[in-house]
Amino acid sequence: MKTEEIEKINFPGKEPEKISRKGKVLLITSEITSGGRPFVHHHAAHCESGVTSALFRDKGLEISEPMIFGIGSGIFFGHLPFVKFVGLPISTYRCQPGAIFRKAAKRLGGKFVTQHFRNPRKGMDEMRRVLNTGQIVGLTTNIYWLSYFPNRFRFQFNGHNIIVLREIENGFRVSDPVLDKPVDCLTEDLIRARFARGPLEPKGFMYYPVSVNHNPDLRTACIKGMLDTCNMMLRIPLPIFGIRGIRYRAKKIITFDKTHGFEEACRQLGMIVRMQEEVGTGGAGFRYMYAAFLQEAAELFGSSELDELSREMTAIGDIWREFAVVSARVIKKRFKQEETFAKAGGLMLICAGREEELFKNLRIVAGNLKS
Amino acid sequence: MKVNEVPQDNTLKYYEGIKRACYAINDEGKYVIVASNGWNAEEFINGLAVHELAVNLEKTRKAVFEGVKSPLAYHMERRQMIPDILGKTAGIAAFRVKRHCRPEIFAKLKDSVLDRYADALAITREELKTVPQK
Repeated sequence: MKTEEIEKINFPGKEPEKISRKGKVLLITSEITSGGRPFVHHHAAHCESGVTSALFRDKGLEISEPMIFGIGSGIFFGHLPFVKFVGLPISTYRCQPGAIFRKAAKRLGGKFVTQHFRNPRKGMDEMRRVLNTGQIVGLTTNIYWLSYFPNRFRFQFNGHNIIVLREIENGFRVSDPVLDKPVDCLTEDLIRARFARGPLEPKGFMYYPVSVNHNPDLRTACIKGMLDTCNMMLRIPLPIFGIRGIRYRAKKIITFDKTHGFEEACRQLGMIVRMQEEVGTGGAGFRYMYAAFLQEAAELFGSSELDELSREMTAIGDIWREFAVVSARVIKKRFKQEETFAKAGGLMLICAGREEELFKNLRIVAGNLKS
Repeated sequence: MKVNEVPQDNTLKYYEGIKRACYAINDEGKYVIVASNGWNAEEFINGLAVHELAVNLEKTRKAVFEGVKSPLAYHMERRQMIPDILGKTAGIAAFRVKRHCRPEIFAKLKDSVLDRYADALAITREELKTVPQK
């Protein structure tokens, strides 16, 4: 029986449907893995946390994307002047690729297999073998070669994560958490994407859980994740990471047009906003997703302080959004008088101040929580 | 961000039908995922970057016709690569890739080298030797 027929029989309605789970409205789509088990595709904001939570869910541990993001200490800020992308320095709003999966897996417990490959053929053969055992596989890929993406989002970036569900005729059925439904990917594309060269080479990285801990100590994991995040944001003694990084960048932005000239300043500012909004962040450079995590943690611990912090994080996220809007206007050269680089940088400074306050409070609150 | 504040600017051309997940607060104060079909500010910023790439590519294409650069430079840029990435992919040292971007040196390349470039760029050898007229 062809794969399409199986789909028709099992899942007559292929369009995403809205279901309500624990009071949350989620966009989901039903799929089927090579083992014949149903797989539920969840629309996620970020690729790595989306993939990780889907892998856990597939093994029977129901866990949401923000929870993985928080436990894996995903939120961060770093300005990397020496890592250039299309000639522009990168400002990142998240920790390094791979860290969310690594940390979440360690803190939640379970048996995971991670593999790198030098030889593309061996890498693909091993992936097929694992798929045939009915397992779904997480992959790290280069986003440029994934042709199912709109052209405008395709650029040479080696840190995109996807899940392969099963093999189909000359390709694979792929669940990309950033998209709202599963898609097909050609074999040739996938080989190129997995074995792309350049900075942060994926080297055919693939990972999957063999078994997961079905009763993880969520409370301890959450506390560890929060404290780790606070340390990363507050205690790295370098001016380009964490809160110091935001301040450093904000001060640069204020004098951007004088130091770089208007054209170049616009390119750099545009880059910051792109990293904040475009690269699958759930809005405001992951700040909303972290607020969602804090909210879930507040329910878990029954802590009103965490709930308060979640609301504060949402407010900070709103300022980040405003920063994006102001930046876009600065570049558009509209409203010449009010919207300047100084205003954009000023908004970022406000973010830095409030985030510093928030993470200091979070460190105290998390330290007092009982696991 | 409230659920009703999630931008729905319907930038269809930009998203090509895909939707973006955003986290927003619903009426009960709980975070939910809302699918957004586009935000003008984001589209504008992305448009700038895309436009810049297109302008540079067009410049390189013209340079090829003027005999300043080789077609390899055009195809490398079309794949958004730099000599370092292309060199690693094709198994050729980056400084050689830079040399091969000069037309007179590119013209003397052996087929075996061209094939390696063609493989790395996912095009045929014939395509590698030419650039589109328009």
